[in-house]
Amino acid sequence: MTIKRRAFLGHMAAGSAIITMPGFLQGCGVQSATVLGQATPDNPFMTWFGVDQAATARVMSELTASGADAADLYFQHSRTNSLTLEDGIVSNASSNIAQGVGLRVVVGEQTGYAFTEDLTQPSMLAAARTASAIASGSAVVAPQSFNPLAMGDLYTTSVPWSDVGVEQKLPILKFVEEKARAMDPAIEKVAVYWGDGDERVMVATLDGRLVTDHRPMARITVVVTARKGEDVQTGYSNIAAREEFNWYSEERLTAMVKEAVDRTMIQFEARRPPAGEMPVILASGASGILLHEAIGHGMEADFNRKGTSIYSDMIGKKVAEPFVTIVDQASIPRERGALNYDDEGNKAGKTVLVEDGILKSYLHDQISAKQYGLKPTGSGRRQSYKYAPMPRMSCTFMEDGPHTKEEIIAAVDHGIICETYTNGQVQIGAGDYTFYVKNGWLVENGKITAPIKDVNIIGNGPESLKRITMVANDARLDTGGWTCGKDGQSVPVSQGIPTVLVSNMTVGGENVG
Amino acid sequence: MSADLQNRSAQAVEMAKQAGAKDAFVTASQTRDVQFEYRAGALEKVKDTTSRYLNVSVYADGRYSSHNTTDMNPERLERFVREAVAITRALEPDEHRRITPTELFSDRPTDELDLVDDNVAGISREQRIAWCEQLDEIATAHDRVISATAGIYDGTVNSASVSSNGFAGAHAETYCWYGTSITLRDEGDKRAEDGYYVGGQHVASLPAAGDVARVGLERALSRLHSEKGPTTKTTMLVDARAAGSLVGRLMGPANARRISQGQSFWADLIGTKAFSDKLSITDNPLMPRGFGSRHFDSEGISSRRLPIIENGVVRNVYVDTYHGSKTDMAPTTGSSSNRVITTGSQSLEELLGDVGEGVYVTSWLGGNADQTTGDFSLGLRGHMIENGEIGRPVGEMNVTGNLRDLFNQLELLGNDVYPYSATLSPSLVFGGVDFSGV
Repeated sequence: MTIKRRAFLGHMAAGSAIITMPGFLQGCGVQSATVLGQATPDNPFMTWFGVDQAATARVMSELTASGADAADLYFQHSRTNSLTLEDGIVSNASSNIAQGVGLRVVVGEQTGYAFTEDLTQPSMLAAARTASAIASGSAVVAPQSFNPLAMGDLYTTSVPWSDVGVEQKLPILKFVEEKARAMDPAIEKVAVYWGDGDERVMVATLDGRLVTDHRPMARITVVVTARKGEDVQTGYSNIAAREEFNWYSEERLTAMVKEAVDRTMIQFEARRPPAGEMPVILASGASGILLHEAIGHGMEADFNRKGTSIYSDMIGKKVAEPFVTIVDQASIPRERGALNYDDEGNKAGKTVLVEDGILKSYLHDQISAKQYGLKPTGSGRRQSYKYAPMPRMSCTFMEDGPHTKEEIIAAVDHGIICETYTNGQVQIGAGDYTFYVKNGWLVENGKITAPIKDVNIIGNGPESLKRITMVANDARLDTGGWTCGKDGQSVPVSQGIPTVLVSNMTVGGENVG
Repeated sequence: MSADLQNRSAQAVEMAKQAGAKDAFVTASQTRDVQFEYRAGALEKVKDTTSRYLNVSVYADGRYSSHNTTDMNPERLERFVREAVAITRALEPDEHRRITPTELFSDRPTDELDLVDDNVAGISREQRIAWCEQLDEIATAHDRVISATAGIYDGTVNSASVSSNGFAGAHAETYCWYGTSITLRDEGDKRAEDGYYVGGQHVASLPAAGDVARVGLERALSRLHSEKGPTTKTTMLVDARAAGSLVGRLMGPANARRISQGQSFWADLIGTKAFSDKLSITDNPLMPRGFGSRHFDSEGISSRRLPIIENGVVRNVYVDTYHGSKTDMAPTTGSSSNRVITTGSQSLEELLGDVGEGVYVTSWLGGNADQTTGDFSLGLRGHMIENGEIGRPVGEMNVTGNLRDLFNQLELLGNDVYPYSATLSPSLVFGGVDFSGV
């Protein structure tokens, strides 16, 4: 993995976005009373959830009393805190505590699911009976005890968010606001949104594993509104990671603010490009949204085991030029999409989706892995204890290619560069996908000529992969706070890409002749 | 149920006051959800859950914050509330953060909203499976079907709110939705996909499962052999279902919060003729069986009809108490209930005939809009309109423009309101719209 962490964009850094702020993640705190800075106790997870080996075994036994190929108990405690600065003051805070256990039974492709937020033995047993109703066979032998696996170390924190008081956070929001106001006299409004999350997960499985994970999340967003005469423009930037308080250095925050201000101010000059088909250059970093939509979702194995993805019959086939390699990797320290273990208790790692242009592997959860006769890829994720897991992406990116950014721009006669994005979407079966470009640049005769804004781009997944004709050597992961939604479940993800040329896509635009 | 929740809320208000809060507004909620999914002749997923939460808004020392928990253990709940008050005190004071004034609680309507069907709680496993089988039978009755998933989703939501300044209210609602998602083999590796779902508070109000599946299969079949349409400026006819989401984008920034933050193209529109005179939109919280119907909003403000746009003139926006105070606008309600768009007199067929040539949009794919400027660009699927009729299926196209301009170009409205949404819109026809495709 040679991806570089955010290189600043220099003259290309401009643009802006509407804020479609996804909810601040599930997080999880140690106890429901620590925001003001009480100490966190040591964390034997079972003690935390008020259960022991025998009680867990008893619930597992009830859950599998009518048969099971697989079963798990997913204990989760999450605490998120948010703060809002508007009009110069922080006068709004909110917190959310969610605690419960999800109980799942799998028989073949069938899933029975229940959860309870009351972690008493009678409530858990009742939920276990509800979930087990999907099965109609005889009881399986449930483990008498569960073997704790070693905890991962991808995002260990020295101070958990539950020990960081509001009074420590306020100066950060103030700093961001003051920096933004000082950068341009046209700025009328600055809003700053803070989110931190602390999440504790314990998974007990039918095959006797006990997996625990402590997942932090940090995120801050700045929204800037500027006015020039009658013209008002809004832009934003945000950063997010599985990090702790001291991650917020002045340098990191200042870079974020500069990006938001640059993105806002350039919009006063930006126009819509002409409509229609044209070559599209994807700037490095956030343009990984292309991979997420054009191929990532289509490679999630639940769609493929049902035959509903356009990629269902393509494993082993050439789908792109030999210099295209696309990876989904959860084991990147501290990334927003990082995971030590997935939400089925499997070790999360690296899955190569496309290697040297050949389609290699889907993203599997336990159900699909069993059906394909493969090992799970550690891609079974869920939003919370309220949901059954399914195959999901983590950090999705393309590796470096043989070209340079300058060569790519020079190769385009008439096209655009896409730089910042707000959202994307895909139809799994048809393969059509879109992403919304908040800002970018027009390219004419191999040169960047003018800023553009607010265009949707639409393409077809397999066709776009074939049309990736150049890949540069400047791959990096985006540090923005991306959230992926599927079947009503949201999970944090990361994405990245080097500068890439797609030879033809359909660009939304105006002034149609 | 509602008495229990009311007690729980009242106790939390007391806890907050004891912990030093000047005021508190508490909502307790409990939800039962049942979900059945059926595919390839068998149940694929059964989920049966009961969940709950308590939300406490605290006002202390001229400060405000809001906290949510699922943990009802009495000791921990008390600690949670104490801590909520302590967090509030660590924030900055704000003169505009005040509990909802009591006069906004008064004259709460008592209209019968008819949101609860006692039959929902009694829906049996056998009934759900029977619906699944009926949906599956029709949805799979075509040789191109690769996969069809039938889904049944039903449940009951109960909530009760109590405030320290005299508010007490409860809301209960049942729901039952069913339908199917269908994937068909198309050319090459492509799959055509679509589906159809219906729902309501009352089981008896739903169309037969087989008829719902029939619509879903027709919709999926109509996507076969879809191609990219042309880059052109032409008339756009948006079907009633897709029109609801377009109206949602128009109204997204129509609120005091966005306006106070300088993030709304509605900022200076109140009292002006901003849109086509064919456009009228009313927020009506008191419609029987409406998906957004309610007697009071989340701040306890009594519901009333609120004209948003009348013949193109902006009359009101959504104003919550806090941002209303900041912007000197009288509070209306901070969130939409049922958004009712006026209808025209023509059927979809008549609209198609009137349009003659253009693009008929049946669904959106991604895209977004800048709420400050109204600039938008959306992906779409649909059909070309040829000689006044639905023609070849098209996709992989974008439509781009400005929302304010677009709704000035509104030329015709149908009489065919899509009923399964809180945004009740007919089909809409817009002139002179920029499409990008081939």
